[in-house]
Amino acid sequence: MLSLSALRGWGRVVPLVALVGLVGCDLLEFSPNDHRVPEEFTNLTEKNLAKLAARPLPAGDTLRFVFTGDSQQFYDEAEALVASVNQQPGVAFLVVAGDISDFGLAREMRWVDEKLRRLSVPYVTVIGNHDLVGNGREAYQHIYGALDYSFVYGDTKFTLLDTNGREYSFDGSAPNMGWLKPQLTNLDGARRQVVISHVPPTNDDFDPALRAPYVQALRDAPGLVFEMNGHNHGYSITQPYNDGVTYVNSDAFSQRHYMVVTVWGNRQFRIKRVKF
Amino acid sequence: MKTHLLPALLLAAGGSHAATPPDTAATALPRAARSERPWYRPTHLALQTGGGLGMVAAGAGYQFSKNRLETDILIGYVPRRYAGSALTLASLKFMYSPFRLRVAEKVQVLPLTVGAYFSYTHGTLNDELKGQYSSDYYWFSTDTRYGPLVGGRVTYLAAPVAATGQPRKLSFYYELGSNDLYLASYLTNRNGGLRFGQLLTLALGVKADF
Repeated sequence: MLSLSALRGWGRVVPLVALVGLVGCDLLEFSPNDHRVPEEFTNLTEKNLAKLAARPLPAGDTLRFVFTGDSQQFYDEAEALVASVNQQPGVAFLVVAGDISDFGLAREMRWVDEKLRRLSVPYVTVIGNHDLVGNGREAYQHIYGALDYSFVYGDTKFTLLDTNGREYSFDGSAPNMGWLKPQLTNLDGARRQVVISHVPPTNDDFDPALRAPYVQALRDAPGLVFEMNGHNHGYSITQPYNDGVTYVNSDAFSQRHYMVVTVWGNRQFRIKRVKF
Repeated sequence: MKTHLLPALLLAAGGSHAATPPDTAATALPRAARSERPWYRPTHLALQTGGGLGMVAAGAGYQFSKNRLETDILIGYVPRRYAGSALTLASLKFMYSPFRLRVAEKVQVLPLTVGAYFSYTHGTLNDELKGQYSSDYYWFSTDTRYGPLVGGRVTYLAAPVAATGQPRKLSFYYELGSNDLYLASYLTNRNGGLRFGQLLTLALGVKADF
């Protein structure tokens, strides 16, 4: 009897010790640039795309998604945004147009994911300039995944890429035109396409040597609905080059607005700005 | 000079029984013997993991004000696989430990240490090249961090070095800390967006007084 109660006592203590040990390991940070995180916070892009693929959109159906950007350091707002987006009917996924973090630190990316994983739909991200500070590029790759990637959902191909040229001292590597051009010409079976990046080509932080080729490539892209960016912390829908290409810029989380984007037909779209 | 002075002091000390200093295990030599240390000689060596100062950080430190104030200088290292590039961190810690409890003949507990650190990281991938940004493009520094820390310590008091009377101690410590960027994130989210626990880092270490 005595040994049994002793065993029970240990039964309570051992999990507690294990918990303290686990929390301890989590806290034992080697550097703010240390990007070790539990497995559940790694490869988020791939995991979220798998979730999206598990809820396919029938061919010909109207696509609806939420577009936002610049979650950097806006954790209070992230909670409110999630609560609001979860009320939206018929939304397939949410896009964060870069600057997930403010300082390029893994902990921040994890904090944002801890909010956004409560969305009732999957979310995808593209890397922003703040995510590239310090060792942010490596942290982003570990936690989210590829800097340049594409996927097809329903009838739409989405191409997301790194356009944060200033973070590479305008060395001609971002945007990676060699990667982008074949993405734009091959729709992978989709009917239309959308390109999403953080820094818009109209901004000073876009590599000036690549601005003209980028804008030209978008102009030539078949079935392009629009190009979408963050970075400006301000809502806009414009055609800055008067070439028929529409550029959409998101609010930051701090503006307490997001966009519900509806896409149908060949290149028709409607954008509703929602306050939260 | 020194070699002659020391035996003389040892002889002088032999007659009178000096009071045991509070953090020494056994009878130590009078202060005069210990003051033979050159001023620059560190009082302890330290080795720690975590706390944002390295996977492994090693260094030395000094104690002042009856050992209640101390400062440690550490060099830390983080391998590439954990941070994306191999990092070397130079850190400076300042600590104040107001209380000490003698829990056993040779065991002392310092229940509270409060302090602050400053660190500089070398080896980050993208740390603001000259001309890369306009001034104040980013308001924070990529490589310079500072933050508060609070912790505690258990010390084993070993017998002093026989020849010199130097006290020897071996301490195990923990420190909970944070940094300027985590704290800034917390302060700008006052409606519960971040919990205080999410800002914390832990350091575990060992210190040897010699």
